[in-house]
Amino acid sequence: MEGILGHLLQTAAIAKSYGANRVLFDIDFTLDHGESVAVIGENGAGKSTFAKILTGVIRPDEGKLCLDDEEVEFHSPRDALRSGLAFIPQELAYVPDLTVAENVLLGQWPSRFGLTTGARMLAQARVECERFDIDIDVRRTMRTLKLAERQIVEIVKALARRARLIILDEPTASLSEHESQLLFRILGRLTASGVGVIYISHRMDEVYRFSDRVDVLRNGTRVASLSPARTTPAQLITHMLGQEKEDFTSDARQRQADEQAVLQIRGWRRDGLPSLRGIDLSVGREEIVGLYGLRGSGADLVGEGLAGLHRDIQGEIALAGAGTRRQPFATPLAARHARIAFVPAERKRDGLVLVLSIQRNLGLMIYRLLSRFGVMLTGRERRESADLAARFDVRCQSLDQSVESLSGGNQQKVMLASRLAAAPRLLVLQEPTRGVDVGARVEIHRFLTEIARRGCATLLVTSDVEEAVAVSDRLLIMREGRIVGELAGPEKTQANAIALAAGGAKT
Amino acid sequence: MTTERLATKPVEAAPKTRRRRFSLGVGAHFFGIGAFYILLIVFFSITSDNFFTYSNSLNILSNITVLGIVALGQTLAIVSGGFDLSVSGTVPLGAVAFVLISNAGFPTPVAILLVLLIGAGIGLANGLIVTRIGISPLIATLGMLSITAGLAYTLSSGVTVPMKNFDAAILADQTVGGISWYVIVFLLLCIVIALAMRFTVFGRMLYAIGGNRDASRLAGIRVDTISTVIYMLCAALATFAGVVVSSQLFAGSATVGADAALTSIAAVILGGAALFGGVGGVGGTLLGVLVLGTIANGMALMMVPAFYQQIATGAILLIAVGLGRFRAMIAAN
Repeated sequence: MEGILGHLLQTAAIAKSYGANRVLFDIDFTLDHGESVAVIGENGAGKSTFAKILTGVIRPDEGKLCLDDEEVEFHSPRDALRSGLAFIPQELAYVPDLTVAENVLLGQWPSRFGLTTGARMLAQARVECERFDIDIDVRRTMRTLKLAERQIVEIVKALARRARLIILDEPTASLSEHESQLLFRILGRLTASGVGVIYISHRMDEVYRFSDRVDVLRNGTRVASLSPARTTPAQLITHMLGQEKEDFTSDARQRQADEQAVLQIRGWRRDGLPSLRGIDLSVGREEIVGLYGLRGSGADLVGEGLAGLHRDIQGEIALAGAGTRRQPFATPLAARHARIAFVPAERKRDGLVLVLSIQRNLGLMIYRLLSRFGVMLTGRERRESADLAARFDVRCQSLDQSVESLSGGNQQKVMLASRLAAAPRLLVLQEPTRGVDVGARVEIHRFLTEIARRGCATLLVTSDVEEAVAVSDRLLIMREGRIVGELAGPEKTQANAIALAAGGAKT
Repeated sequence: MTTERLATKPVEAAPKTRRRRFSLGVGAHFFGIGAFYILLIVFFSITSDNFFTYSNSLNILSNITVLGIVALGQTLAIVSGGFDLSVSGTVPLGAVAFVLISNAGFPTPVAILLVLLIGAGIGLANGLIVTRIGISPLIATLGMLSITAGLAYTLSSGVTVPMKNFDAAILADQTVGGISWYVIVFLLLCIVIALAMRFTVFGRMLYAIGGNRDASRLAGIRVDTISTVIYMLCAALATFAGVVVSSQLFAGSATVGADAALTSIAAVILGGAALFGGVGGVGGTLLGVLVLGTIANGMALMMVPAFYQQIATGAILLIAVGLGRFRAMIAAN
């Protein structure tokens, strides 16, 4: 549908490197007026970098960007917005206590002599909503809206700034089925009126419902441009993954899972979003069980529930040597007493005390071991922490250095070491290699295999499919609060995992 | 079970460990303030003949004791990530309560103990309000400030209550080598709290909670319990400071120590603690208290009116914290 106006957006040979690491190669991309394109790819394929270049967050090393056949150069997201390109990120940026009207017109409230009137603002916001038949009460505060409604408000806000092209990053990641449909209906109206929509995702189910075209990125290159109507999920997955990489797949360690189950979970349920709808799983001694799911699948909840962070989960938990409980642990302390170690996903927020030294962080969970009658045995503390730091290869100048000064990978190793110091019987990890460099990632994966081999049952909760497949002995796939499949042996491939997680079938 | 560990790597040479700095995380700031303090001493020694003498040193020490005791409690509160404004009410309440209890005929040790229990009770209330109800320390302790200050006025009927039995003032009366008991008690408290902060599990947890409350909770530390205990200690120390004031004055009054909250927070921050927690220590606080006390003393010797002291105190606090920020910015680049 080449319009008479030509392309709304065209990029020519866009490339970007970070240091020696090239993340985008010669991307040629076009988008017409009223067209919607889904850009999909695995983590690290270059999707976000591409979106950031389009919206002026970062600048490309090479290549050019044309809007309506006119070359443009953006120095900031503001620049991009002024030219009509709006970005709706995953984490929305709105003012929760202001009304919809105030948020829609944020920064450009109608005013006279610095005074603004509520009535005029409401009227103007209503006009903006009516342009696209959006039925939302502009007097409500943002806080009271559903997530999808907030996203729609953000879109209206972009449109109120005369956006001609809207880029959404994983818009439905945390939406319910019903909310997603609402969002897609609105987006449909936008394209009908000539607004372009680009839509960054690693989920495939959405693509079919919505976009005119699917572009697949892999390792920084656009490898395919497909019509959703003529593409099967399997084909799409093949494009996303390419030739599947040969991994150090758990050297064929097939464990008898139930024979020596360290952990058994039975019938875990939770209402609300994300929900759990009856989870049964077990982890055996020396076994690494992977739990893979996309955001909102509930996989995170299972891990956090084991760590005592969700009192609202119903269901049984049985631990070898600690009996069966009718309810998951109510507090992190109770989980620790049951010798469950939890490595949280957000290490800076939940895992480490950044201002304190490496030594203090390493001792965080073993005060009992390092003290007598409440007094720290400083010699033992020093020996233990030096020992842990050496064993987990924490690279530092001194153990008195603050954890804040370490690289992401080393911080992660400190966190892992501190949890394992307490000799847990079950290790629960959540996204253990998020935000660490490739070298540290390989090391951490090696540690995990080693730890499991020494008898520690391990549950690895991850949304990184490569990690899930490579590190686990047995891989459980979650979707919409259920375990929808179990993969082991030759069936345990990235393609199968992704297909199950996205709602397809094994290939 | 902790010995059969999960060795993942042949143990290499452990990372070198340097000698620990004086007080955790305070390091450079501590020496900066220390240097400033020495300059201050040199300056006052030049401007006033009576400054650098044994008796004036004792004088300074006596004068900082009340602030120092409150600041010790405040250090615990701030390092653990909270703070306590209510000390401005608990100090006078402690003073009035001590005199009233003593006047009622209770033996002095019993009176002191009862006052400490009142303080612990107030701290318990602070702690429960902050941790159970989830009201921020600012609002919770501000409310408690008003309540305790009002109680002090009510109990004393708004007038200074004289001590009937001067024997009750043993803390100020009795001396060892010319040094009042209360100074010695203060120095002992400094040592005990410094050791507790550095060498006990409680101290480790206190720093961890202040540095990252969520991570500490996830690590299985009883965050709420420890916070509550800290508020109890802080308030008990504040009421004890009230006992010291009334012993110095042979009377209890609802107006003494009304500036305790701001001055003690100033001293703690001056000593290098971070208002958001996790950083700070007794050594730094003691220096902060000494700086404030020495400025007051030196300026008094120079016959500078007391109002100017207040201005000087504020200016020094801002400069010290500003320099700290400046250094952090340089370090970041």
